[in-house]
Amino acid sequence: MLQKREKVLLLRTFQGRTLRIVREHYLRPCVPCNSPLCPQPAACRNEGKLLSSDVTHYVIPDWKVVQDYLEILEFPELKGIIFMQTACQAVQHQRGRRQYNKLRNLLKDARHDCILFANEFQQHCYLPRERGESMEKWQTRSIYNAAVWYYHHCQDRMPIVMVTEDEEAIQQYGSETEGVFVISFKSRQERENESQESHGKEYPEHLPLEVLEAGIKSGRYIQGILNVNKHRAQIEAFVRLQGASSKDSGLISDILIHGMKARNRSIHGDVVVVELLPKNEWKGRIAALCENDSDDKALGESPSEPMPTGRVVGILQKNWRDYVVTFPSKEEVQSQGKNAQKILVTPWDYRIPKIRISTQQAEALQDFRVVVRIDSWESTSVYPNGHFVRVLGRIGDLEGEIATILVENSISVVPFSEAQMCEMPVNTPENPWKVSPEEEQERKDLRKTHLVFSIDPKGCEDVDDTLSVRTLNNGNLELGVHIADVTHFVAPNSYIDVEARTRATTYYLADRRYDMLPSILSADLCSLLGGVDRYAVSVMWELDETSYEIKKVWYGRTIIRSAYKLFYEAAQELLDGNFSIVDDIPELKDLDEKSRQAKLEELVWAIGKLTDIARHIRAKRDRCGALELEGVEVRVQLDEKKNIHDLIPKQPLEVHETVAECMILANHWVAKKIWENFPHQALLRQHPSPHQEFFSELRECAKAKGFFIDTRSNKTLADSLDNANDPNDPIVNRLLRSMATQAMSNALYFSTGSCAEEEFHHYGLALDKYTHFTSPIRRYSDIVVHRLLMAAISKDKKMEMKENLLSNKDLEELCRHINNRNRAAQHSQKQSTELFQCMYFKDKDPETEERCISDGVIYSIRTNGVLVFIPRFGIKGAAYLKNKDGLVISCGPDSRSEWKPGSLQRFQNKIISTTTAGQSVTFHLFDHVTVRISVQALRCHSDTIRLEIISNKPYMIPNTELFHQSSLLLKSELVKEVTRSMEEAQLAQEVKVNIIQEEYQEYCQTKGQSLYTLLEEIRDLALLDVSSNYRT
Amino acid sequence: MAGLELLSDQGYRVDGRRARELRKIQARMGVFAQADGSAYIEQGNTKALAVVYGVPRGIGGVRSRALPDRALVNCQYSSATFSTGERKRRPHGDRKSCEMGLQLRQTFEAAILTQLHPRSQIDIYVQVLQADGGTYAACVNAATLAVLDAGIPMRDFVCACSAGFVEGTALADLSHVEEAAGGPQLALALLPASGQIALLEMDARLHEDHLEQVLEAAAQAARDVHTLLDHVVRQHVREASILLGD
Repeated sequence: MLQKREKVLLLRTFQGRTLRIVREHYLRPCVPCNSPLCPQPAACRNEGKLLSSDVTHYVIPDWKVVQDYLEILEFPELKGIIFMQTACQAVQHQRGRRQYNKLRNLLKDARHDCILFANEFQQHCYLPRERGESMEKWQTRSIYNAAVWYYHHCQDRMPIVMVTEDEEAIQQYGSETEGVFVISFKSRQERENESQESHGKEYPEHLPLEVLEAGIKSGRYIQGILNVNKHRAQIEAFVRLQGASSKDSGLISDILIHGMKARNRSIHGDVVVVELLPKNEWKGRIAALCENDSDDKALGESPSEPMPTGRVVGILQKNWRDYVVTFPSKEEVQSQGKNAQKILVTPWDYRIPKIRISTQQAEALQDFRVVVRIDSWESTSVYPNGHFVRVLGRIGDLEGEIATILVENSISVVPFSEAQMCEMPVNTPENPWKVSPEEEQERKDLRKTHLVFSIDPKGCEDVDDTLSVRTLNNGNLELGVHIADVTHFVAPNSYIDVEARTRATTYYLADRRYDMLPSILSADLCSLLGGVDRYAVSVMWELDETSYEIKKVWYGRTIIRSAYKLFYEAAQELLDGNFSIVDDIPELKDLDEKSRQAKLEELVWAIGKLTDIARHIRAKRDRCGALELEGVEVRVQLDEKKNIHDLIPKQPLEVHETVAECMILANHWVAKKIWENFPHQALLRQHPSPHQEFFSELRECAKAKGFFIDTRSNKTLADSLDNANDPNDPIVNRLLRSMATQAMSNALYFSTGSCAEEEFHHYGLALDKYTHFTSPIRRYSDIVVHRLLMAAISKDKKMEMKENLLSNKDLEELCRHINNRNRAAQHSQKQSTELFQCMYFKDKDPETEERCISDGVIYSIRTNGVLVFIPRFGIKGAAYLKNKDGLVISCGPDSRSEWKPGSLQRFQNKIISTTTAGQSVTFHLFDHVTVRISVQALRCHSDTIRLEIISNKPYMIPNTELFHQSSLLLKSELVKEVTRSMEEAQLAQEVKVNIIQEEYQEYCQTKGQSLYTLLEEIRDLALLDVSSNYRT
Repeated sequence: MAGLELLSDQGYRVDGRRARELRKIQARMGVFAQADGSAYIEQGNTKALAVVYGVPRGIGGVRSRALPDRALVNCQYSSATFSTGERKRRPHGDRKSCEMGLQLRQTFEAAILTQLHPRSQIDIYVQVLQADGGTYAACVNAATLAVLDAGIPMRDFVCACSAGFVEGTALADLSHVEEAAGGPQLALALLPASGQIALLEMDARLHEDHLEQVLEAAAQAARDVHTLLDHVVRQHVREASILLGD
C-alpha cells in the first residue's frame, strides 16, 4: 500500500510572484535496495544491477560530494557505491543535465559497481523538510537517515560509510549509529577560490535559457555546433547549423565566429546559440597557411569575401570531455610569475583553449602527458578552470603518445574483466568445444551437403564470412553466404554484450588493435576456420541456371564446416587456371593424386561459378543504379594511402570483387528483410547524396587540367572521373578522386523509424537499402542486425520472439553511439599513422638523409603557400612560399630554391612568386616539385611533418634501383622500424641487454576479410579527412 | 533544463508512483440532503463535488427541449476560483466549462438508461474544488456516484481515467505536473462490465503504434477505479441500511 504525503513548494513565477504549489508524494514500504544482502529480495523486487558481494563496506556519498567529485566516484576501483535519490536530484537541479546524464550513465553501466536507492519514496527513509530548514541541511539529513535505514535493512551485516564535506554533519551524525560512519572526503587537491580575476569581466554573460529558446523560435538566434578551425584555433571558429534553423534563416553556409571574445567561452563541440552581426561587421575566412604556434598574429593577407559572422550568446549543451594536456616547461613556469599554484596547461588538441589548473606537482609532471577535466569557465576569467585527473605517460614515448590518442578520441580499452570472460564458452585441448545436440536439431546442417569455403587475405585469423555455391536438383543454382553466428555466444545485455556495445567496433591503430570481442570468440569459436564445425547465420539464394535471376531466398541459422580457407592470390590463380598454386593449399596437400584432382575440380568449378554470378550481379547493379565509383575509388585510395599496400596487392584481383559483391548482396537482402519485418526499428546504413557546393573545388581543379567533371549524379561523376585521366601523370586522377571522396558525406547507421524511406538510399553503392551484416566479429552494428534478422525469422515462423528488440528511440541512440565510435576509430587510426610517420622521420637528418627528399605534387593553392601530396609516403602537407621573415621563394637557373625578398601573387590555379630583383617562379596546380621532409617537434601537441620546396623540378631519382627498393616502404615496415628503434632506446637505458626479439608482431589479423570490408573502411577514412582544412 | 524528469530510470514518477499506479482515491456518497443524489471524490489532490437532480422533476425551463422518447441529460461543469495554484477568475460559461459539460453529457447519455424516462430531465452539476490533473476523470467518477445515489438506473458504472505517454511508457492517472509537461494525454470513460467505451478523448499527437499501449493503461486504470467505486457504493448502502434498519 502506498502512503500519501504532501509536499508544499514555494516557487517564484516569472513575474516574480510567489506561488504555492502542493504536490503529492507517495511512499511505499518496499523500494529495490539492489543489495545481495537483502533479507527479502522478493519483496524488494531487486532487478538488474546488484552491488557486488565482495566489498567490505558500502559508500554513500553526500549530495555535495556527488555534485563536486563525480569523476572520482567514476573510478572503477571504487566499489559498492549507493547513490541516494536525494543526491541525484540535487545534481539534477544544481549541476544541470550534462552532469546528471553522466551520473545516469554511470548507474546504467553494468561495469560500475554502483546503484541508486530511491530513498525519498521509501516510507521509513523519507523525511519531510521541516519549517525553516535549509535545503542543504535537509538533504544531508535525508541521506544520513536513508543510510541508517539501509544499514538496518541489510541486518547490520555491512558497515556503511557516508562521505560528506559538511563538518557539521560529521559532528552531528558521526557517532550516532554504530556501523554507519560519517567521514569527510579528502580530496587530493586543494581547491582555491578563483579570486585573482574578479575585477573586470572578460566575457559577456550568457543569456538565460528561456531567452535563448524564445530567440531560436523567433529566428533571432541560431542554434548550431561550434567547430573550431584547427589551424587558427585562436581566431576562427564556425558554427554548423543544426536541423531546422538552417531552413528558417535561409543561410546556406556556416557562421563564422571571429576571435575568442565572440566565441564567449564555448569550446569545440558545444551546442551554442549564435546571434548574427550586422552585415558591415562580417568578416571573411583566411585562406593563407599559418603555423599552429603563431597566435593571433595579424597576417598581412587579405581574407576572402565576407561570410555570415556572429557571436555566441549562450551555450545550450556543453560537450566537455577529458583532455590531454602538457604542463609548461620550467622556463615558462617562471615567466608565469607570482601565482605559481595556478598553472596554464596546453591541451594536445589545438582547438581547445588553455586550461588553468591548480597543482603543486607542476614541476614533477613537466615531461608527462596528463589528463585534465574542465570544471567551469566564469565570465571573469580568460581561461577555463580545470583539475588534474591522471598521468598518461612521458612525452615522446610511444606508449604515452598512443594513450594520448586513445584518450583524445574517448576510447577506453581495458582488458576484458573476469566476469565478462566467465560468460565465454570454453575451448581447451582437454575440454574442446563441441556442437551441442540441441543446436544440431534447430539448425540446418550444411556440413555434408554444401561445399563451403572462405577467401581471405593471407594469415587472417578472424574469418567471419564464407561462401558456397552448388547446383540444385531442379537445375537451379544455390548461392550461399554464411556469416559467423556471434549472437549465439553473445546474449543481449550480458556483460560481454554491454562491453562490446560500449566499444562498438574493433579499433585498429598503426601497430596494434583493440578487439571488440575476446579472442576466444574472435579468433576461435566464431571464426569460420577450415575443417571445423561452426555455427553460422546463412543467406541462401536460389538462382536461375542461366539468367542468374533470384528466385527464392532463405535466411536462417546453420552449422557449417568450411572445407577450404583460401587466400586471395591462390583463389585468383585457380580461377586463372594455374594449378601450380595447389601446393600452397594445405587442405589438398595430403591427399592422393586422384581424390585431389576431383576435389580440385569441384573447387575450381565453385570459384568460377561464383565469379560468374558476381559479375552478373555487378553488371545488373551498374545497369539499374549505375555506378562504378566504388571499385575504382578503392584502388585509388589504397594507392594513395600507401600504408595499406601491404594488405592487398597493387592490382586488385577479380576475386576481391567477387567476394565483395557477394557480401554486398547479402547485406542488401538482409537490409530488405529486416526493414520489411520491422519498419520502425531496423538498423540500416545510409549514404546521403552529397551537396553540389562541395564539389566546386573539385570542378575548379579539374578545369585547370582541362577536364570537365559532371557531378550531377553518382553515375555521371564516376564516368567523368574515369575520363579525367592524364596519361603522363597518373597522380592527377588519384588526387581528383580523393577530392571527390572528400566532398561526400559519411555513410551512417540509422534506425528506420527515425527518417523517411527516401533517405535510406546508399549513394556510393547505389542501393535503396543497405546494412552491415557480414562482420559481426568486429562491428557491433552487425550484431544488432543479426538479432533483428533472427527476430524476423521467428516472426515469419509465427514463433514467439525470444528477444526484446530495441525500440526506435533506443536504436537511434545506439546508432549515434556506433557512428561516433566509428569516427573515433578512424581518427585514432589516422593519428596513430601520423605518429608513426613522424617517428620515422624524426631521427633522420633532413639535410643529409636521402630518404627525406622526395617528389611531391601540388594539389591546392593558398595565398602564402601550397599544399603538397607526396605519393611515396602518402603524406599530405603544407609548404610555404613565404616564410616568417616575409621572404619569398625563388628558383635559380639550376632550379634550386632560395629565400629572397619579394611578393606573391595568387591566381585560381597558379601562384607566382616574384623577387624584388624581378625573377619570378610560377607554381601550377598539379606541378611536380621536390620537397624536403622534416619533423617539427612540438612539446604540447603531436609532432608534425614539415615540407619545404627545394626545387621546382620533379625529383630525379639518382638510382633507380634504390627507388624501387625504397618506394616499397610499407606501413608495416615503417611501424616495425619505429618500434625497433624505440625498443633499442629502452634497452640502452636498461643496462642488462636481453635477447632482442626479432619477431615483431606482424599484422596477424587483417583489417577486414575481403576487399569489400576494406573498401568500406578506407572509404570512410577518406571521406573524413580531419586534418584537411575546414571547408565551407 | 527542459523540465522535470517525468519517469526516472528506476521507473518512478515525480510523485513516487510507478507508471501504472493510481493516485489515492477517496469518495463519499450522499453529501447533501437537498439534492436527489450527491457525491464527493478525491483523486490525489483533485477534488470534485457532483450533485444530481433526477427523474421525478419534469422539464424545467424551456418545455420544448423535452425529448419525446427519452430523458434529457443536462450537465454543468464549473471549477472553483480557488481550485488552481494561481488565483484566476473563471466566469461562468467559459469555453472550457462548456466543453467539459458537453463531454460529461455525452458520457452520461451513453450510460444512463434515458429511454425509461421520456419527457423528463436529469441535471448533473459538477464542481471542481481543487484541480491537480485529471479533472475530467474526477468529474465523471463523482457524477457516477451521484447518479447512483439518486437511484437513476444506469447500464453500468462509468469509470474514467486519464493516461499519458512518456519515453515509451504509458502512465496512468496523470497529475498536474505530468499534464503540464505537454505530452500526449488520453481521457477514457469506460463501462467496466461490458468494456464499452463511453468517451475517448485525446489531445496532442501520438504515434499509432503506441495508442494501444496507452489505451490499455487507461482502461486498466478505469477498471481499478471501478473496483474502488464499487467498494464505496457497497459501503454506503451498508451504512444506509443500518441506519434504516435501526
